[in-house]
Amino acid sequence: MLELKKLSAGGRDMAARLLGRGKPSDADGKALPPRRVAPVEEAYDPAEPIVIDSDPFLQCVQLERFGAILRGDDKFRSRPDYATVVKKTLAVIDERFALVPEGFVTLPRTMTDAPGLPEEDIETEPFLLAKHAVTNHQFQKFVDAGGYSNLDLWPKDIWPHLIDFKDLTDVQAPRYWREGRHNKRLAQHPVVGVNAYEADAYCKWAGLRLPSESQWQMAATWRIRSAANTLRRYPWGDALDIQKCNIWATGLGQTAPVDAFKGGSAPNDVQQLIGNVWEWTASDLDMLDENGQPVVGDMLMRALRGGAFDTYFATQATGLFRTGLACIARTHNVGFRCALSLSDLPAGH
Amino acid sequence: MATATMKQPVVAPCLICEQYNSSDAQLCKTCSAPTAIANDSAAMGRKPSIVSIVGESNVGKTVYLGFLLDMLSQRAGDFEAIPKGAFSIDIQQTVIGHMARRCFPPKTPMEVNQWYWAYYQVRRRAQNAKWADLVMPDMAGESLSAEVATPQTFGVIRNLLAKSEGALLLIDAAMAAHGSQNPDFFAMKILSYIDALRATKREEKVSMPTAVVLCKADHCPECFDHPRRFVEANLNRLWNLCKSRFENVEFFASSVIGSLGYATLADHEGVVPVPLHTALRGVLEPFEWILDQI
Repeated sequence: MLELKKLSAGGRDMAARLLGRGKPSDADGKALPPRRVAPVEEAYDPAEPIVIDSDPFLQCVQLERFGAILRGDDKFRSRPDYATVVKKTLAVIDERFALVPEGFVTLPRTMTDAPGLPEEDIETEPFLLAKHAVTNHQFQKFVDAGGYSNLDLWPKDIWPHLIDFKDLTDVQAPRYWREGRHNKRLAQHPVVGVNAYEADAYCKWAGLRLPSESQWQMAATWRIRSAANTLRRYPWGDALDIQKCNIWATGLGQTAPVDAFKGGSAPNDVQQLIGNVWEWTASDLDMLDENGQPVVGDMLMRALRGGAFDTYFATQATGLFRTGLACIARTHNVGFRCALSLSDLPAGH
Repeated sequence: MATATMKQPVVAPCLICEQYNSSDAQLCKTCSAPTAIANDSAAMGRKPSIVSIVGESNVGKTVYLGFLLDMLSQRAGDFEAIPKGAFSIDIQQTVIGHMARRCFPPKTPMEVNQWYWAYYQVRRRAQNAKWADLVMPDMAGESLSAEVATPQTFGVIRNLLAKSEGALLLIDAAMAAHGSQNPDFFAMKILSYIDALRATKREEKVSMPTAVVLCKADHCPECFDHPRRFVEANLNRLWNLCKSRFENVEFFASSVIGSLGYATLADHEGVVPVPLHTALRGVLEPFEWILDQI
C-alpha cells in the first residue's frame, strides 16, 4: 500500500502521479484518502514463469545476458546468426547504457567531509553504466535461469549461505518475493532484498559488473576533465529538488518504477542515481573514523551509494555521501545497477 | 497611546505530581517536570494526555521520540503538530543534530531535571480532526529500571505511568533475535509494574493502550513481516503477560538506522557504534495507533 507521508506540494504531486491517483488535494489535504494505521496487504500478483529457450545462444538473448553474448564463446561465434545478434545486442546496450566519460573523483577518507580532512583523488576511466537499476522483471530471469543454483556465479565462501538467500516463502529469490516470483505490480521497480553477493552473481551471469564506488560517484557528480572543473552535488545540479528524486521528503514512502523521476537524470540520461534505492557498488567500505581508524561493521561491509526512498536526511542522498552495509544484508531499500567496461565491447564499437 | 498589557501567568498545579509551584519556577520543585506544561494547559483550558515511552536503557527511546517529533513537525503522515514551548523542541534538535552528523545523542541522564519533555498539539489534517494535546517525556532507562525494581525511587515515573493515557513499550528486537532473554524480562517487569499500578482488581485487565514496538528491527527484517509472530516466538513471556493482563495492546516494528558501523574511541580502548545512515521505518505507525486509541 503506497502512502503519501509528507504534505509538501511538490512531493505530493509527484507521489500522486506515481500512484496513479491523479492530482492530489490542495494544501489542506482534504481530498487525500484517510491514512491507514494497520498495514494493509495488497493482493500479491505473482509474475508468470518464463519459458526459457533451449538454445543456449538464444537463451542469452532472451534473458538479456548482454555481456555473455558479447564475450560469446567459440560455439556462439561459429553460428551464422552471431554477427546479427551481436549487432542487435549492441543496439540494446546503446539504448540501456550510457557512457560515463573519464574524470576524477575525490573520496573523503573520513565519515565527515569537512574541509581539511583527508581525501583521496581517484582517476576514473570511461565506462558504460546502466541508465536504470536492475528491475524485479530483469532479476526474475536470473532466478528462472537457475542463477541461485549455478555455483560458478558465487564465491566459494558464500556457498554455505546460499540456502539463506530466500524469499518470504523460503524459495531462493530476493527477500520480499513470494514463491520465487516477483509481484507483477512491481515489475518495473528496482529489485530489493538482494545482498551484495546476489548483485554480484546477477552481474556475473549477465556478463556485466557492479560499478566501483569511485565510478558511481563519477557518474553522479559528473566531474569530467574540463577547464571548468565543475562538480555536481546531484546528477542534475547543485540544489536538492524532491521532484527529481525519491527520498523521504518526497513523500512516496516506497520504491518507484526505475524510469520515474526523469528530471533527476544525469546529463547522459542515467536515472535515479539519487534516491529510490541505495545501490551496491563493487567496493568494500573503506572509511576512517575521527581517530584515523577504519570504520568497521559486525560483518564485511560494501560501499553503498545514492540514498533511498526512506533516506531522512537529504545530506545522505547526494552524489558525494559515503556509507556502507553488511555485504550479506538483504534490505528493503537496497538494489543495484550494472556497469560494463568499454574493453568488453567489440573493437571498433 | 496604547500600552501593552502583560498577560498574567497562570499558575497551575503540576500536571504530573499535582503540587503547586511559584510563578517563576521553570521546573516543578517536586518532580522536575516543566511548569510550563501545567501552566499553558491551564491557560488554554485543555488537559493534555500523557503518552509514556518506556523501555530498557539503550533501547533507543530518545532517538525514537526525537525522530517521531521531527517527522510530526514535517507533517509526516498527514499530521500537523505544534510544539508548545521551546523546551518541547530540544529533544528533536538534539537527536536530529547528532544523527545528521552520524553519531548517537548522549544518554538521557538519570536526573529528572535533565530529562527532555515534549508538549505538542497534534492533529490529522486530512480528516480535519480535533487537536490532541500530548505530553511525552523522555525518561531515562536507568531511572525506569530503578523505579520498577524499587517503587517510589522515582516518584515522577510512578505518577507519569499512573496518569498515562497511552504507552509505547520499546524493545530491543535485535537482542531478542540473537537469543538474549533480557528484553523479555525487562518488558515483563515494566508491564507488571504498570499492571500493579493501574489495575485495581485481579480480574480487571489494564485498559491503557499499549504499543509494543520492536526497535532496531533493521537487524531482523522478519520483525516487519510479522511483529506479533516475532513477539510470540522470541518474547514469549511478554506475549503471555500481554494476553493475560492487557486488553488493548498492539505490536509494531520500527527502525531508524539504515546501517550501523563501529568507530574507535579516542583512547583506542574499545569502539563506539556509529549510525552510518538513517532509514526510517515504522516510526509513525505505533504513534498513530496510540493516538487513535486515546
